[in-house]
Amino acid sequence: MLRLLPYRDLAWELVLRDLRVRYRRSVIGLAWSLLQPLLMMLVLHVAFSAIFRFEVDNYPVYALAGILFWNFFSQSIVHSMNALKGNAGLIQRLPVPKAVFPVAAVLSGVVNFGLALIPLFAILVATGHRLEPALLFLPVAIAIAALFTLGAGLLLSPLAVFFSDTVELIGVLLQLAMFLTPIFYPMKIVPEPFLALVRFNPIRSILEVFRDPIYYGKIPPLSHLAVASGLAIALFALGAWVFARSSRRINFYL
Amino acid sequence: MPALRLDSVSLCYRLARQRPPSLKEYAIHWVKGSLTYEQLWAVRDLSLTVTKGESVGIVGRNGAGKSTLLKMVAGVLPPTRGRCAVRGSVAPILALGTGFDHELTGRENVYLNALLLGRRRREIDRSYDEIVDFAELGAFIDSPLRTYSSGMVARLGFAIATGWRPDLLILDEVMGVGDSAFTVKCEKRLEAYRAAGTTVLLVSHSAPAVENGCTRCVWIDQGRLVADGDPKEVLGAYLASLGSPAAAG
Ligand SMILES: Nc1ncnc2c1ncn2[C@@H]1O[C@H](COP(=O)(O)OP(=O)(O)O)[C@@H](O)[C@H]1O
Ligand SMILES: [Mg+2]
Repeated sequence: MLRLLPYRDLAWELVLRDLRVRYRRSVIGLAWSLLQPLLMMLVLHVAFSAIFRFEVDNYPVYALAGILFWNFFSQSIVHSMNALKGNAGLIQRLPVPKAVFPVAAVLSGVVNFGLALIPLFAILVATGHRLEPALLFLPVAIAIAALFTLGAGLLLSPLAVFFSDTVELIGVLLQLAMFLTPIFYPMKIVPEPFLALVRFNPIRSILEVFRDPIYYGKIPPLSHLAVASGLAIALFALGAWVFARSSRRINFYL
Repeated sequence: MPALRLDSVSLCYRLARQRPPSLKEYAIHWVKGSLTYEQLWAVRDLSLTVTKGESVGIVGRNGAGKSTLLKMVAGVLPPTRGRCAVRGSVAPILALGTGFDHELTGRENVYLNALLLGRRRREIDRSYDEIVDFAELGAFIDSPLRTYSSGMVARLGFAIATGWRPDLLILDEVMGVGDSAFTVKCEKRLEAYRAAGTTVLLVSHSAPAVENGCTRCVWIDQGRLVADGDPKEVLGAYLASLGSPAAAG
C-alpha cells in the first residue's frame, strides 16, 4: 500500500477519467445518476410506505439513505473487481502498483456518493425533515464506509483475475447481502429466524453509521462507531494483505 | 553495488489454457485432485551483474526469453526463483505505445502516460514542453491519438519514457521505429544519458545497433545465458549460430 504514495496523482487522474466516462461527458449522464436513486426511492415509497407506516415515519428518507449507501457499496465492489482485468495491458507492461486500480475505482465511487447527497438533501428539505448539525458527521461516516468497501474491493479483485466467474458469483452474493441489510425495511419487522443474520451483518453496522445522522439527526453512539470503525479497519487490513500476497501472481493470470 | 544484479533467476509461465478458468471448475478439479499445469520455463537459472554506466545488448532468437528477462528487471514480472536487484530509478519501454488512450489528445496522453510511469503532476508540468518538442508533434499535440501515424505514436512514447533520465533504461526492440532523423535523435539522447551514468539494457535485432551502441553483449537461448562479453565476439558467435549472418531474427 505504501508503494502507492508516489502514484497518488495517477490515482486521481484515473478517478477523473472514470467520472468522465461515467457521465459520458454530458449532463444527461450526470442527471441520470442523480435521478436513478430517487426513482428507486419513489418505487419503494409506493410499495412499502403503507406497510411500514407504523414502524418508519418519513419512509422516503429512510429508504433513500439506504439506497445511496448500497449503490456505493455494491457498485464500487463490482467496479474494483473489473479494474485489474480492464487495465491488463498496462499492468503487463508497466511497473505500476496494481492496487492503484481498485483504489481509484472506490475513490470514484466516493465522489459519486458525495454527489448523490445533493438529491438526498433536497428530499430532506422537501419532506420537512429537520436538518440537524449531526449531518456534519457524514464525511466521517462516508470515510468509514469507503475503507470498508476498499477492503472488500482489494480482497475480491485478485479473485476476479484468477477465476472468471467471480464477478457473477459476487453479484449473487451481493443480492443476498442486500436482503440481509435493512436498506428498505426497518429492523423491527425482521422475523425471529433471520434476526441474528441481519443484526450481525457487518454491512448493517456500516450502513447505520451513515444513516443515523440523516434519519435520526444524531451522531451514532460511540459503541456503534467503534464497532463500525473496527470492522472497516479489519476488512481493509485483510484486503490489503490478500492483495499484497496475490499481487505477484496477478500478472501471470491476466 | 552494481546497477543490476540477477542471481540465478528463473521464470515459469503457467500456460493459460491449462488453468481452470472458473471457480466452479477449480473446485471440481480440486476435489478430484486433478489440478495440473503445463509449465513453461522462459528464463532458467540466469545470473548477470551489470555495473553502472554499462550498455548491455541482449540478443537471441525469437522466444529465447529476452522480453521475459526485461520484464523481470522492470519489475513487471516477479522471478519464480532467484533474486533480481535493481539500483535506482527504472524507465522501461517494453512496447511502444503502452498506456496510451487513443481517444485522448496527445497532451492528455503525455500526462496519463507519465503518471503511469510514476511521475507527479508537478514534474510533468515542468517537463511538458521539452517532451512535446522532442516528439516533434507541433500542432498535432491537441488532436486525438487515433489521428496519429504509428511513427508519431512511437515518437511520443519514446519522448515521454525518456523525458527524465533514469538510472536504468530498458528498451525492448523499440529503437529505430521512427524515421531515420528521429532514430538519430533517440541515439543522441541515449548517448547523453549514458555519459551521465545511465545503465542501458537493450534488446535489438539490428547487429549494428548492438555493435556500435553497446559496451557488452549477452546472448540468450532457451532462457539460458549462452555467451556474455565483447559485442563483436558475442554477436559474431550468435550470427554464426544462425547459419548465415543475414538471417538475424
Ligand atoms: N504471457 C505469457 N504466457 C505464456 N508464455 C509466454 C508468455 N510470454 C512469453 N511466453 C513464452 O515464453 C518464451 C519466451 O518469450 P519472450 O520472453 O517473449 O521471448 P523473446 O522476447 O526472446 O522473443 C516463449 O516461448 C513464449 O512463448
Ligand atoms: Mg521479445
